Amino acid sequence: MPKGEEVVDELQRARDVAEERRLVAAAVDGSTPAFEALYRRHVARIHALCLRMTGHAATAEDCTQEAFVQAWRHLPRFETRSAFGTWLHRIAVNAVLQHARRRRETLGSEDSVEREVADVMADHAASDPGRSRDLESAIASLPPGARQVLVLVGVYGHTHEEAAGMLGIAVGTCKAQLHRARALLGARLEAPETHDDGH
Amino acid sequence: MTDTEGREDDGRLDAELRGLSRTTIEPGRDLWPGIAAQLEPRGGQGALRRRPAWLWQAAAAVLLVAGSSLLTATLLDNERGDGTMAAATRVAPAPAGTSGAMAMPAAFGPGAKLDPEYLAARRLLTTVLETRMANLPSSTRAKLEVNLAEMRRAAEQINAALAEQPGDPLLEELLLKTYQDELAVLANVNQLTNALAGTADGKADSERMQL
Repeated sequence: MPKGEEVVDELQRARDVAEERRLVAAAVDGSTPAFEALYRRHVARIHALCLRMTGHAATAEDCTQEAFVQAWRHLPRFETRSAFGTWLHRIAVNAVLQHARRRRETLGSEDSVEREVADVMADHAASDPGRSRDLESAIASLPPGARQVLVLVGVYGHTHEEAAGMLGIAVGTCKAQLHRARALLGARLEAPETHDDGH
Repeated sequence: MTDTEGREDDGRLDAELRGLSRTTIEPGRDLWPGIAAQLEPRGGQGALRRRPAWLWQAAAAVLLVAGSSLLTATLLDNERGDGTMAAATRVAPAPAGTSGAMAMPAAFGPGAKLDPEYLAARRLLTTVLETRMANLPSSTRAKLEVNLAEMRRAAEQINAALAEQPGDPLLEELLLKTYQDELAVLANVNQLTNALAGTADGKADSERMQL
């Protein structure tokens, strides 16, 4: 027999889901206040994803903003029976990848993007001391390809097939990038000064 | 480093990475003004005007449900306020139709379903309450069953409308409202039966004497 608190928690979660569906329905009908409420609910999660994928605070903010603009644009085609947060996550990943593609076209190569990686979680580091900050910083210092695979597969639990599909790479490449990312991450966590010296 | 130590390190790193997914990070500034400036307006009013007449019948059904919920909540409040002890002593066996009255259709038309979390909460509450309905006074239980049956009829009407127009956001909202009302009533019953159980436990001996 479930305990009273469990029933109340379940009920609260059910109400949250119902409230989100109501907000989504209103936003589909054109309500910007409803969409702002959805933004307030999800922005910190989406921004964290963008920050981890880009490793750059200003770029992450641009991508977060773009993700919500795209979400508004495509909301009428959103399947209301699926989870809004999951749908938004996919849109944010696309926003990051489109931003990276535009940047590559401008700068010429992925190595150039890699050199641009800076401000490694600077804001986050101030409020998150210790191992977690080290881990975030080490992730941000990875080469873009390895970092994106690590974030999607290692942090957010996507399968290699899903991540490869999102990134537009082969599954084998995805696995190789994850292996590379983990090796680099392990080395950098053991000797954090090594990569810090590079900046 | 041995192989075992290496695997332990790998496992720890995997766990730390997965843990990051639960950590949120606010942006350094409010991005909403920049987003709001780029939102193209959508024709919500036009969509409302295109809705057929049966939609408003469904809306009326929800109003009926809301009134029904209020009545049930009032009844339950009255039980809490003046009859806790008396209610505990007027225990009657649950009628055969209890679970049927509490079972509502859990679908948005033929091609859609409620969120799993929502269904899980309903299942949880329904399971809890089916075992506790017997503790309610017979008059309260009868009224509760009538009101739950009313909600069920409203949900069926809305589901029928959704079958004609799958994915209609207003209809889905109406149906969700009906389910929310149902959950609110079931939660009220849960609280009341918890209170009755607490009272009954504390005064079991004296109640046995009265029975």
